[in-house]
Amino acid sequence: MASSGSGYDLSSSTFSPDGRIFQIEYAAKAVENAGTALGLRCADGVVLAVEKPLVNRMLVARTTGGYTRSTSTRASRSRVSSATAGRSLTGRGRRRAITRRHHGTKIPPATLSSRISAYVHYFTLHGALRPFGASTLVAAYDTGTKRHSLHMIEPSGVCYEYYGAAAGRGRQPARTEMEKLVVNPSRVPEGGEMISVSEGVRQLAKIIHSLHDDAKDKPFELEMSWLCEGSGWKHEGVPREIIAGAVEWAKKEIENEGENDEEGDDDEDDEMEE
Amino acid sequence: MSHQYTADYDAYAGKSAETRHLKPGELSTGTTIMAVQFDGGVVLCADSRVSTGSYVANRASDKIAQLHDHIWCCRSGSAADTQALTDYVRHFLSQLAVETGRLPEVKVAAHLMRRLCYQNKDNLMAGVIVGGWDPVCGGTVYNIPVGGACIPMPFALGGSGSTYIYGLVDAEYRENMTKDEALALVRKAVAHAMARDGSSGGIIRTLVATEEGNVRDYVSGNMLPYGPAGW
Amino acid sequence: MSLSLQSGGAASRALAPPSTARAIADQGNQMTTRPITTGTSVLGMKYRGGVMLAADTLVSYGSLAKYKNARRLLSINSRTLIGAGGEYSDLQSIADLLRGNALNDRCTADSLYEEDNNEECAGEVWSYLRAVMYQRRNRMNPLWNDVVVAGFRQNPDGTTTDSPFLGVVDKIGTAYEDDVLATGFGAYIALPLMREKYRPDMEEGEARALLEDCLRILFYRDCRALNRVQIAKVTMDGGVLVSEPYELDTYWDFKGFVTNKGEMGTDGGW
Repeated sequence: MASSGSGYDLSSSTFSPDGRIFQIEYAAKAVENAGTALGLRCADGVVLAVEKPLVNRMLVARTTGGYTRSTSTRASRSRVSSATAGRSLTGRGRRRAITRRHHGTKIPPATLSSRISAYVHYFTLHGALRPFGASTLVAAYDTGTKRHSLHMIEPSGVCYEYYGAAAGRGRQPARTEMEKLVVNPSRVPEGGEMISVSEGVRQLAKIIHSLHDDAKDKPFELEMSWLCEGSGWKHEGVPREIIAGAVEWAKKEIENEGENDEEGDDDEDDEMEE
Repeated sequence: MSHQYTADYDAYAGKSAETRHLKPGELSTGTTIMAVQFDGGVVLCADSRVSTGSYVANRASDKIAQLHDHIWCCRSGSAADTQALTDYVRHFLSQLAVETGRLPEVKVAAHLMRRLCYQNKDNLMAGVIVGGWDPVCGGTVYNIPVGGACIPMPFALGGSGSTYIYGLVDAEYRENMTKDEALALVRKAVAHAMARDGSSGGIIRTLVATEEGNVRDYVSGNMLPYGPAGW
Repeated sequence: MSLSLQSGGAASRALAPPSTARAIADQGNQMTTRPITTGTSVLGMKYRGGVMLAADTLVSYGSLAKYKNARRLLSINSRTLIGAGGEYSDLQSIADLLRGNALNDRCTADSLYEEDNNEECAGEVWSYLRAVMYQRRNRMNPLWNDVVVAGFRQNPDGTTTDSPFLGVVDKIGTAYEDDVLATGFGAYIALPLMREKYRPDMEEGEARALLEDCLRILFYRDCRALNRVQIAKVTMDGGVLVSEPYELDTYWDFKGFVTNKGEMGTDGGW
């Protein structure tokens, strides 16, 4: 990595000959190496889940600071990676949301997200600035349209709306898992229905746990929050007992699947033989 | 210096109580303005007299100003101040509409107006009624009196002429009026105010703001439902 | 002429020195406006297990009873209430300020769980407001309100204590606490009545009845009062509750009221 830019990676104001800006890619790399963060837009709300690795076995759990924060009562965001970068960003988002509160209404989710994205993007344009090594998930409720949404802003400043979003180390397998869930309203199978937040909590807990290798990876805390009909469309932490229940269910499920997979493999073998 | 001060003060004291608060040559829309909510929209109404002291500077002015597609305001107080205020609110609202890609709420317009009025209260003479239609709250009326408070109400009165017609409007107003009932009420009320308030007069302008759009109308000064003459 | 500024409506510009040059020079350092849109008294009282505030919903414009449904009792967070008389636009900006602080606290809190975080308690809100009001008056630009703050004090660990808090801050930054408080006209008319009937162990119903009696009497004797009122309370475990505006019954059937006094041969009464 150190020499990969061969001199073209010293500033975010320099393009490499093949048209890349290495500083932004390095920032993205910082996110890719961080704990996983997931967001899921369900039928009745949005769930956020963050894997907070305990970087040192001697760290006291629950003192590492929240990765998920409220920007106003009806919007929240999770971040991945560089704690300082993330803090600076959430502060910015909060100030934006609060400015807007002075206009008498809540800032629309897409506007909040695009403001944050414009800010993040600005940091990729100047030689004197360093891009943010953080991705931001924005879960928000729109009081005007009565709709809820999930956005993600990446270090490059790109910002899209998602049904399910993932960032951090486990993002690829997590996306694959989330695609199996019914979160896209236009692709609800006949007779089926969209996933609810309470089911979303369990599924996200399962994904985070299944991606975690207890033997290899550092221990982690699971932080989950939601913004849903049940919470009065306010952003709040998922009650601890619900998280505990979800984790218990997830672990059992993972165990069962492990067994089934073995059986499944056998079946496949049988079929092969035929 | 002290001599000049005295001279100036004398010039100032020559003004009547009515015009003392105005800057030299400043116009004031000594006014009657009104807005009423109805199911699906609002009716705004204003007289058309602009005066300097007791001279009618404009007898057919338009005190109903558009802030956005479906949001309007009635102006009273200093003409210059209220024009500047509406220009600012118009500007911020259009910016906001472009940024959010949706129609702004009446509430937002009212809060912008309130902020400007409150933060500059020492230098402004403006009493404004903001009213209009938005997709979230429907027809909405906010009153922003001098000083910059901001109060949502089912109907609002403003301007010097309003004091003469509070009783009339209190007696005639009912909840859930139709558009036509609201229009009849504002015309009658403003005509009565114009008949008793020397600083209100001319024609009655009305505006109906609904989801479908805005409909303007006016009642000519010789076709008023009441007055100008009377008992 | 301008709109309607018969009483107390003129902005301070009317008071500014007449010379244009002087007026401009002085604009950075002006005396503030007189109050224009005003609310009247607020009453507050501790009772067993809570604090209660009461106020009417009238906002006057000089002597014109202009807004009859304006809320003057407001919650700041889940365990603090304020109530204010005086300039209504200033009350709105005080509420914006305190609620902004509360939101900021919520958003910068360490934990996602409300029970882990500690919101400002009433005592803290009151102290902060005192500083703000005092600073504003020293800048000769006061917030023209008397604000009553109600709620609970907190333990050093942030949990709510069982001792209720009731304090007031006035427009010049004077601040004090008491078991019974009243601002504005209420300080003259309601406070003696409240002191006479007050007991620290009053039940909620008793407290409410006493406050309603006081509001009724204020309606009789304060030209800027109304019989449409709101009651609000903060309780130990129930948090904040602000009632919707409702109307009080009034009594006019005293014998002396009914008897005519203007007939020939009488003294005419007064």
